[in-house]
Amino acid sequence: MGIITILWEKWVEFRRDFYKITLSAMIAPLMYLLVFGLGIQTVSHGKPYLHYLIPGVVALTTMNGSFNAIAQNLNVQRLYEKAFDQVMISPTPLWQFIIGQIIAGSLRGIYAGGIILLLVWPIHTGLIFNGFSFLILFLNGAVFSALGVVVSFLARNHADVPRFSSYFIMPMAFLCNTFFSTENMPHGIREVIGFLPLSETSGMVRSIAYGESWNPVGILVLVVYLVIFMMIGLWFVYRKQNL
Amino acid sequence: MIELKNLTKQFDQFTAVDSVNMTVETGEFFGLLGPNGAGKTTTIGMLSTLLLPTKGEIYIDGELLTRNRADIKRKISVITQEYSMRQDMNMNEIMEYQGRLYYMSKKEIRRKSEELLEFCGLINDRKKTVRKLSGGMKRKLMVCRALLTEPEILLLDEPTAGMDALSRRQMWSLLRRLNEQNLTILLTTHYMEEAQALCKRVAMMNHGKIEEINTPAGFIQELGSFAIDETTGEGMVTHYFHEKKEALAFADRTDYSFSLRDTTLEDVFVERAGKRLS
Repeated sequence: MGIITILWEKWVEFRRDFYKITLSAMIAPLMYLLVFGLGIQTVSHGKPYLHYLIPGVVALTTMNGSFNAIAQNLNVQRLYEKAFDQVMISPTPLWQFIIGQIIAGSLRGIYAGGIILLLVWPIHTGLIFNGFSFLILFLNGAVFSALGVVVSFLARNHADVPRFSSYFIMPMAFLCNTFFSTENMPHGIREVIGFLPLSETSGMVRSIAYGESWNPVGILVLVVYLVIFMMIGLWFVYRKQNL
Repeated sequence: MIELKNLTKQFDQFTAVDSVNMTVETGEFFGLLGPNGAGKTTTIGMLSTLLLPTKGEIYIDGELLTRNRADIKRKISVITQEYSMRQDMNMNEIMEYQGRLYYMSKKEIRRKSEELLEFCGLINDRKKTVRKLSGGMKRKLMVCRALLTEPEILLLDEPTAGMDALSRRQMWSLLRRLNEQNLTILLTTHYMEEAQALCKRVAMMNHGKIEEINTPAGFIQELGSFAIDETTGEGMVTHYFHEKKEALAFADRTDYSFSLRDTTLEDVFVERAGKRLS
């Protein structure tokens, strides 16, 4: 099955670049946790700020891990290596290629998020990360992998992906319920940002981590984003005149 | 059999391929020749479904080729002009990836890969990543990869570009052998001697249109089978003759130094290009 082939390809890549992938996944989130969580000691919502920060940083790490695993790589395969041509030419159905990329990207996101959880493990925060947390993080990764597929097809040169990252991914990392609650934002902006996938993910994962009730509608929102990005990706591979 | 019916490809206002009608018979070795920008690579791009036609259709064995026709794509292998391979994979991984994309079993992939890499003299370098291979080795690896899936149709876009003379001859003999086994081959090349040596028929393409389809011998006969290169004070001028005695008679009359030789497909190409320029 084509999905397994793509997962195998991503596994080969992961195995070869294991240290590079692991280290690069760790650095930025670790800095956030050290600077904002341990360096600037403060309290938020009656709890140490670090407790607020960890679920948000894990969510943003899965976002970054998934997006970066797909967008840049697929863009290089399409524009520079032309290796994507061989997939297009092959009998592997292109929807399987897209789904394979999304699953692989999502797993890379979960791996990156998992590393952060392992690193904060000794702090004994008492935060809860259960099956639902990982399902939500997986979905979050899937959304941003699918976005990565779309961006890689939209990019006209190699600089376009980092550019997109600077315009959209980086602001999301800071604004979407990761470092502070969207509730503190002005009316209008709050609703828009609150509806973004990372805001939904951070909110749900944080509620679960606190042992509070959480709103499963966020899962539906993530699924809607996933379907939209997947459909755009499929449009590209089946309908775009010149790939 | 490959049939192109009214095949057209436009990029904005520019027509790269213009209403091309052409048939390549099963087991035929067919060449697509033309100057840079003639539309050869765009045609191969549409045959490999990387580009979708603006108008017209492509039929493979009577079936319409589209991006989601896995059964048709299974029959086709492509060697693109560029090295379309992941740079960070080694040869074994490149072959396995290809085999997996074509639903081959792991055992079959291993057996055929060994056979092909051995045949192309790459077996001892199979752990090397693509990045570390020379241009010629990359080309050979692309051939191995294309043949791994036992295609019925092989599309070759400048397959010997960047190869040294010996590797090119080896590639020719391999392609000839494959064609003898009834593999349909569609080749685009800048090397006219390559097309003359390999192709049963060739199409001359220019400005996206097919100007003429003929056998290499047919093209040469049209121009004249004998050529005299005459070195005048202004440079070399080539004259073409249908009969050898006509060529010899001309040689008797000339005051300049000359050489008599057989006309080649390259002469045909150069003459056509010259006429277009004038």
